[in-house]
Amino acid sequence: MRGNLVNLNVNPCKMCMPMGVMTAMYGIKKCVSILHGSQGCSTYIRRHMATHYNEPVDIASSSLTEEGTVYGGEKNLLQGLLNLIRVYHPEVIGVATTCLAETIGEDIGRMIERFYEEHPEHKDITIIKIPSAGYKGTQYEGFMTALYHIVKTVPMNPEKHSKVNIITGQLSPADTRYLKELLAEFGIEYILLPDLSENLDGGHLHTYSKLPQEGTDIRMIEKMAGARMTIEITISIDEKNSAAKYLYDTYDVPYIRCNLPVGLRDNDEFLRILAKVSGNAVPLKTLKERERYIDAMIDSHKYNGEARVAIYGEPDFVVSTARMCVENGIMPMITATGSKYPKLRELLEQEIMTVSEAFFIDDYKIIEDVDFQTIEEYARDLKVNLLIGNSDGRRISETLEIPLVRRGFPIHDRMGGQRLRMFGYEGALTLIDEITNEILGRKERTFRENLYQQYYIREESSTQISEEAAAAVHNWEGDDSMENELVKRQTIEEKTAKHPCYNCQAHQYARIHLPIAPKCNISCNYCLRKYDCPNESRPGVTTAILSPKEAFLKFMEVKTKVPNLSVVGIAGPGDALANFTETKALLTLIRKEDKDITFCLSTNGLMLPQYANELIALGVSHVTVTMNAIDPKIGAQIYKYVDYMGTKYYGETAAAILLSNQLAGIRMLTEQGIICKVNIVMLKGINDHHIPEVVAKVKELGGVITNIMQMIPVKGSVFEELPLVTNKEIMQMRVKCGEIMKQMYHCKQCRADAIGTLDSDRSSEFQTGNQKEAPLVDKEYLDGMDSENPSPRLPEEAEASQQVTTPKLYMAVATKSGIIVDQHFGQVSEFYVYEYTKGNAVFKEKRPVNQYCKGSAECGEGTDKMDLLIQTIADCDAVIAMRIGDGPKVKLGQKGIKTFTTYDKIEASVLWAANEIKKLP
Amino acid sequence: MDNSNILDARKDFIKQKQGGCGGNGLRCDSNSVSGSVSQRACVYCGARVVLNPITDAFHIVHGPIGCASYTWDIRGSLSSGDDLYRNSFSTDLQETDVIFGGEKKLTAALDEIVNTYHPKLIFVYATCIVGVIGDDIEAVCREMSNKHGIRVLPVKSPGFSGNKSVGYKMACNAIMALLAPHKPEKRRGINILGDFNLAGEIWIVKEYLNKIGIPVISTITGDSNYESLIQAPAAELNIVQCAGSSTYLANRMEEELGIPYIKISFYGIEDTVNSLIRIADALKDETARKKAIELAETETLRLEVFLSKYRKNLEGKRAAIYVGGGFKAISLIRQFCSLGIETVVVGTQTGKKEDYEIIEGIVGPDTIILDDANPAELEKFMKEKGADILVGGVKERPLAYKLGIAFCDHNHERKHPLCGFDGVVNFTKEINLSMNHPVWKLTESDLFDIDKEFAK
Repeated sequence: MRGNLVNLNVNPCKMCMPMGVMTAMYGIKKCVSILHGSQGCSTYIRRHMATHYNEPVDIASSSLTEEGTVYGGEKNLLQGLLNLIRVYHPEVIGVATTCLAETIGEDIGRMIERFYEEHPEHKDITIIKIPSAGYKGTQYEGFMTALYHIVKTVPMNPEKHSKVNIITGQLSPADTRYLKELLAEFGIEYILLPDLSENLDGGHLHTYSKLPQEGTDIRMIEKMAGARMTIEITISIDEKNSAAKYLYDTYDVPYIRCNLPVGLRDNDEFLRILAKVSGNAVPLKTLKERERYIDAMIDSHKYNGEARVAIYGEPDFVVSTARMCVENGIMPMITATGSKYPKLRELLEQEIMTVSEAFFIDDYKIIEDVDFQTIEEYARDLKVNLLIGNSDGRRISETLEIPLVRRGFPIHDRMGGQRLRMFGYEGALTLIDEITNEILGRKERTFRENLYQQYYIREESSTQISEEAAAAVHNWEGDDSMENELVKRQTIEEKTAKHPCYNCQAHQYARIHLPIAPKCNISCNYCLRKYDCPNESRPGVTTAILSPKEAFLKFMEVKTKVPNLSVVGIAGPGDALANFTETKALLTLIRKEDKDITFCLSTNGLMLPQYANELIALGVSHVTVTMNAIDPKIGAQIYKYVDYMGTKYYGETAAAILLSNQLAGIRMLTEQGIICKVNIVMLKGINDHHIPEVVAKVKELGGVITNIMQMIPVKGSVFEELPLVTNKEIMQMRVKCGEIMKQMYHCKQCRADAIGTLDSDRSSEFQTGNQKEAPLVDKEYLDGMDSENPSPRLPEEAEASQQVTTPKLYMAVATKSGIIVDQHFGQVSEFYVYEYTKGNAVFKEKRPVNQYCKGSAECGEGTDKMDLLIQTIADCDAVIAMRIGDGPKVKLGQKGIKTFTTYDKIEASVLWAANEIKKLP
Repeated sequence: MDNSNILDARKDFIKQKQGGCGGNGLRCDSNSVSGSVSQRACVYCGARVVLNPITDAFHIVHGPIGCASYTWDIRGSLSSGDDLYRNSFSTDLQETDVIFGGEKKLTAALDEIVNTYHPKLIFVYATCIVGVIGDDIEAVCREMSNKHGIRVLPVKSPGFSGNKSVGYKMACNAIMALLAPHKPEKRRGINILGDFNLAGEIWIVKEYLNKIGIPVISTITGDSNYESLIQAPAAELNIVQCAGSSTYLANRMEEELGIPYIKISFYGIEDTVNSLIRIADALKDETARKKAIELAETETLRLEVFLSKYRKNLEGKRAAIYVGGGFKAISLIRQFCSLGIETVVVGTQTGKKEDYEIIEGIVGPDTIILDDANPAELEKFMKEKGADILVGGVKERPLAYKLGIAFCDHNHERKHPLCGFDGVVNFTKEINLSMNHPVWKLTESDLFDIDKEFAK
């Protein structure tokens, strides 16, 4: 089953057989393994195992080369076995084949025979061959095949005894330890094959042993033929790979097979088997664990009922995890294995229907032989909200933003993969808690925003844009660059979610106000923009006015230091639109550097109809308009004058012009999906009763939020003496207006140059004086954009006197790396030629040697390499090499070329050599 | 040396520096000894390392599933654009394909990809099996290129056909094939070769170049794409960061496209400074030279303050190094030396004779030098020499920890830049964090004497 592509596996959900074989062999005591194939196989497998288990993993390779591939690798393998024995002193050696060995038809059995013939002293070492072509199956088949070949190869002692064989697939060391403890509690004597619990999750000892000292002892394996019975804990095994079946067929050891003890029913079943086999009761401790597990299942059942999971991995893992999920009402939307395992559907269909029918979920997928691309496509389509499986699902988790609960193999992007538990009631409990908590956490993080988005914002503006973005994401075809642009662009909702002023949940995000707009076109009676004090914080205040260029530099600086910066705002100190040239220049500069940052500006709205469309084109998504009244009579009391198109208007005329432009402007913005906030300064006795009308108008115009603010009395302003409304009155007004539309309760009335989160202004850290420290963008680049400002001239060189005293020296450097002097003179194929001048080592050129030998006419028949070399650098004053023979040294000397030997860095060597030359008489 | 655990076949690959200046003698640059547990990888691995950072290419692994599975998105190359390179595509060859050949499957896969995604660029990697069953991937790629009018390039990388370096070469050949038809007009600017943008390192280098006024035309292959790569022939100079993987490409570009190259390094303060100046010199750009010196002065000053603080914590420690190539080892020995740390064990997977000669020249007496070392040797010598920290790859990390030795991740999976001036800070912080971590005071303790050591 494949997603888009039939003939390609896209992001494999499986590994190859040798991986499984190598893992199984790590469960055998004093065993070390060799892969018969090319070197890469063992290296990749070691890398995967080492990152999962965080243990040293030693796997040898017969390191087949072209020769071995053509003529057979017997010599390599026999030598490899000897070498392994010499270094590791093993009791058991696993010899596994690879794609390469199988395809060229290596007869491993014959080679092992020959090894024993040639080295009778190693007769007591058991060598087990495991055919494991990478293309014949996955790591699961590899693991089980290894076990099969172990019992088949080890000479058996069929004498009967009371022990029970326990054979398992690839379990985590933690689960294996649980299994051993449980068997001990039941008083069952057992032979566990394999047992990797210590070798792949060992402690820190004072001495390290590279040969695995724990695991299943070969002397115990010999006794498996005489055991009472075998319990094979795996259900997806192919009969031909079953060690239990082999022991039954060959030595009449009866066997039963069961599911992994995961979840309630399969643990129950496993305990019943152990109780029967041992004749002992289930330990009280285990019964208590069972009770606790059921209790926990009830406690979290409603949360679990919201989980729609994708489970992927080896067949055993998928089946048992899915069964446990079903018990907990967790809907397995996707159960998938990379192995070929047609039985998966048969095993799971009825199970999954228990949940799907109860919760009316129609669509789910059970898939075998799958790749991760297919899983990803289904996960998206089926709205999966949780993944359960190994680390290889992390890409899906990242792309679709779905949490991943890690179990299985490999887990290489987190620690402790080897200690993850699933077995027993407690293992199930741990896993279920993890799942439940992911569901709870996700809910906690998103429910406010989701409900707000679902029910609050008007639908036209939001859906329109997100649909466009979504369409772009799914569109694989078409112009790539365009597509990337759109995919990366955040939607306005996403931007609002990160805008601290528009979303009270976004307080962790920072904004920067860039004070580039000094001029204002109206005069408000509560305002006087004359003072600047950094300790004072209110609108209209800034420490310095910046040019767009300076503001841009400041933005770049702040961006590196304030990582949660999400918003660039222009909040005066005058009016952003009264300084539209600067505003436009700045926003254009920033947009080139940062495609995602939110642009926000505040204005009195006078020029809004004129610039609204340009603002949208510049990428402004949030606009705040200060609108204190919708009645010109009231407005006339608030505004002294309005300067519109070069003429000053006073009184009601002024207020009427301002108002009609505000109304028209806001509508232009909201109709195009721009988020508008309206600020209203509450003025006692002037507009305080009028505010609800203003708010209602804003709602009608499509604004999303209004911000009713306190007036800050400014000395020297007309309203200096106006009594303030109390905070309580403001709050009451907000609550009252809250019935009309959303209110802002967290406004901090920021400075025009505020930087940081709303709670902590950091603008003083970024005063203009500090700017020099962080020239993140080449000044010249900016200056180039401004024709009035020519590029800064570089300081003229001060030289004169020095030039006389130090002559120029040419030096040829013998270097291979190009960094240090690291070549013999005689081996040079190209010199790095340096000029020493005025105390500097200046690289001139790379000079190849052979280039100078164009033919016999020039070089002469007898010209040897040494002459060529010398000829190449005849114009140089010195040669610096790692070594120079005496012959060439003399010859160079005759030509007046000095020689120096060192291993230092090139530049340092040139300076050193120049100094040495200076010392010469 | 007690050499009971050292294989006879390996003895020539190991050397202890004698007093004074040693001569030649270390064996290297040959096939791994079978059964010795080499840390090396294969040809395919080398090819994948070089090409994978091309962000908008389809990287199709023609072979059984393992090769694609184990190389899927494990390296820290970053992209500023496409994410396609973070997928792993495999023809997932089965037994029947091995018997009857995989060409049909590959052809069908390519047809399907082109029809579904309309890519500009596809690389097809040959694995061990393909080399043995005789699929002619060159012919398939040629046919598909002609049929669909896009670039489908074969990468001849069967694992057994040499070592990782051969893989680099195969990748470079594919890049040359990609560039061949493109002759953009020459313009001012350089290409960066052999930087794979691990943890954004190419962005750091580009920013320095931007500051000194040198435009970058193409980056090979970190954060590159089809459109940016085919501009490469326009450049006037190539700079080569990872010499091991990309010198071959630089040579070919010099010979066939007439672009000269210089080798540079952005690891460590001195290398970074010298490299920037050298680039300016190579372009004969006086202004850039001056800006580079200014930049170096500011940054060096900043770092001096930082380093003088950390040096106190680091002086007198002993380091072991086991990395891929010789140049990285040499660079690390020097970086350690500048921090007052002595290198006591040093080895590489694929170092060359001259590399080892330099290494021997710059390390102190009695230092152990190893080529293609195995875990047993690393264990033995790190213990004998009392190393405090190992710098190495992912596979070596657990070994260091088991032996109670600190570790520095200097590999392709890291998520923090180690180049440039910031890289010096990161490197210094990392080795300090690991070496001076409180845990080491506890690891050797026993149940009844735990308080004795810790409070020091």
